[in-house]
Amino acid sequence: MTVATLAFIDKRSLRPGRGSALLGAVLLVLGWEVLARMLADAFVLAAPSEVLTAIVENRTLLMRALAVTLANGAAGFALGNLAAIALAGIALAFPRSQSIITGLALTVFCLPLVATGPILRVLFGPGPWPQIVLAALAVYYTTLVLLLVGLRATPSSWIDLMRSYGRGSFSTLVHVRAMASLPYLFAGLQIAAPAAFLGAMVGEFTGAERGMGVLTIRAMRDLDVDMTWALATVATAVAIAAYLAIGWVARRVLVADPPVILSPPRPPGWRGGGWHAPINVAVVAVAAVIAWWAALALSGLNPFFAKGPDDVFHALFLADNAGRTRAMLASAMWETAAFLLPGYLAGLLAGAGLAIVVVLFPMLAGAAMPAAIALRSVPIVTTAPLVVLILGRGAIGTIALVALMVFFPTFVACLHGLRQAPGQVLDVMDSYAAGPFQRLLRARLPAMLPAFFAAARMAVPASVLAVTVVEWLATGNGVGSLMALSASLSDYNMLWSAVVLVAALSALGYGGVGLVEARVLRIYAPEQLA
Amino acid sequence: MRADADMPPDVLCDGLAKTFDGGVEAVRPLSVRFEGGHTTAVVGPSGCGKSTLLRLIAGLERPSAGRVEIGGLPPAETQRRGELAVAFQDPSLLPWRSVRGNIELALHLARRPVAAAHVEHLVRLVGLEGFADTRPAELSGGMRQRAAIARALVTEPELLLLDEPFAAVDELTRQQLAQDLPRIWEARGTTTILVTHSVNEAVMLSDRVIVLSPRPATVVADMAIDLPRPREPEMSRWPEFMASVDAVFAALSASMARNSLAIAAQ
Repeated sequence: MTVATLAFIDKRSLRPGRGSALLGAVLLVLGWEVLARMLADAFVLAAPSEVLTAIVENRTLLMRALAVTLANGAAGFALGNLAAIALAGIALAFPRSQSIITGLALTVFCLPLVATGPILRVLFGPGPWPQIVLAALAVYYTTLVLLLVGLRATPSSWIDLMRSYGRGSFSTLVHVRAMASLPYLFAGLQIAAPAAFLGAMVGEFTGAERGMGVLTIRAMRDLDVDMTWALATVATAVAIAAYLAIGWVARRVLVADPPVILSPPRPPGWRGGGWHAPINVAVVAVAAVIAWWAALALSGLNPFFAKGPDDVFHALFLADNAGRTRAMLASAMWETAAFLLPGYLAGLLAGAGLAIVVVLFPMLAGAAMPAAIALRSVPIVTTAPLVVLILGRGAIGTIALVALMVFFPTFVACLHGLRQAPGQVLDVMDSYAAGPFQRLLRARLPAMLPAFFAAARMAVPASVLAVTVVEWLATGNGVGSLMALSASLSDYNMLWSAVVLVAALSALGYGGVGLVEARVLRIYAPEQLA
Repeated sequence: MRADADMPPDVLCDGLAKTFDGGVEAVRPLSVRFEGGHTTAVVGPSGCGKSTLLRLIAGLERPSAGRVEIGGLPPAETQRRGELAVAFQDPSLLPWRSVRGNIELALHLARRPVAAAHVEHLVRLVGLEGFADTRPAELSGGMRQRAAIARALVTEPELLLLDEPFAAVDELTRQQLAQDLPRIWEARGTTTILVTHSVNEAVMLSDRVIVLSPRPATVVADMAIDLPRPREPEMSRWPEFMASVDAVFAALSASMARNSLAIAAQ
């Protein structure tokens, strides 16, 4: 099975942490307040008391905006998850289609929201649809992958049982697969809920009339520090509440607690290695181009802004200004890479490093886990304006945001992996009186690797999203800003070219991490590649 | 159609062989007839291909050569009529169903009406009284295996295939089950094939013991067990019982010695 970092976290790891988590939260708020008062002259940090005041003063405005964004997020949540269920159904019915479906799904998931937002805006106008579609795009991939894993997470003897009574794949689906995949579906929904809210907010950044995203843009433009913090606080609270609410429903519905998905596992049947990889990439690329063409042909959109693969090829290689286009794209990508790569690596290192430090102090790990799981659902991108407020519009701010985006999921996944080292192996180490470092090096670190790589893989599209959003909203550098600029200048050839390039590179990056992952897992966790 | 639908079916393996895709030869061409209405035990060393043989008979594995006939028909036909039941080595209970729910699922899959009293009776018989509404996760390994046996029995199949059914059951319960369960399938004249690596269990439960060689499986001994029915635990101290056990052991160790000689000669 390919359940890389799917974890049935036992209750003990969550319960005793509650007291200390509460204490931690209180200390956090106190520290925040003190820090804010010290920095009062810098106009970057609003104290909790000021945030609370801003929320209370603007409560009608906030409530109205929240209602709009929640409605759009919920619609996108429903749409995206239904699409994921339908795609999983197709992949199950036609197993051969699975690698194309997951490949296309990944490519679409890698489309930069910063560019798809404006394109959808042109398509749908000022109404709620761009937000809804962006929310759906933000959620469907994790649900799809988890469902595919869940539908196959059935011991072969259950299938044998069905067959021994002469029952075929339909009975197996009804009696076994559907039920067995429910915990995975709920785990997917749990990740999807905050992601949908985030997608809706990003959609509102692109020029909606109402909603939390609109208020965020306005507050940032007005340099309204208190309001910016108030909005980020509300968004965070909503995301955590949505995460907890779905967990609550799951505990009511399921026999066992839902698995905590630390980072989505590899799509099953996705072979990363040997000659499969290049062939897979080629097949998916061809399928993507065909799907793109077909979508344009069927929708009958205005060719002025709906560019096809041929238009992009023409713009990049044949047009009079093709050289200039390529040069602009290359320099923008270069600028972006200079923020993206350090942030990505810093986030991975910080996440894994802190997890390792924490696990050396078992008391700390018990307390850190629930807090980290909750914090992971914070829509980091919606706090982009804050990071820019604090760290400025320079390189540090952007890199820090990317690192934050990568940090939380990596930290949670690694912490869980480290704590999951097989007890018997640890007992063997103990029987030789091995010290904590020996245990860490020889038992825990190998157990952490699958989780680390799964997190690193999912962090690729996440960090691209983070860097492009910051470039667009704040810094005016790189490919995020280039896309925003081409959208506002109606330079659709440039916009589509950038979209293709970003999506392709991000999907390839995801695949590249997957290749390294496959190599490492072959040694440390061969059962996960079966 | 079969000659007589009321007669318990013979199971015929004719030149049956199985080589897996990886090239592992699990069963070498093997011909044997399991008599209808009798209990036949198949013993052999671990990993010899016993379970593969059972899966071939159940129609869960496609033979590389030869064929299986149950009462003159292919296994798929017996499956389709719901006249086949397998108790797997792994209890394979569905975790979201209670013990009762798992047993009733078999009735549903075999398209039989659900008779609550019958289910209750079986639950009692396998010693799970009071656990009918318990989910598998809360049961011990032995209790799960007993629930799986009850599930296999509930449809009153013509052919019952048992793959190490008592492996995780504690010794006392095992003795109790070995005494109680055969009464069910004997009373109905069920054709029963029991795969086990416990020689005592094989002799105690069956009318005939077939000894398989180490992999790839071939029949190295085939002996009748002439002990009266119903079997009682104290029979294990009878000279006839001990003689049968000795004979099976002798056949087993001879085949294993031959195998290690063959390896040494290579």
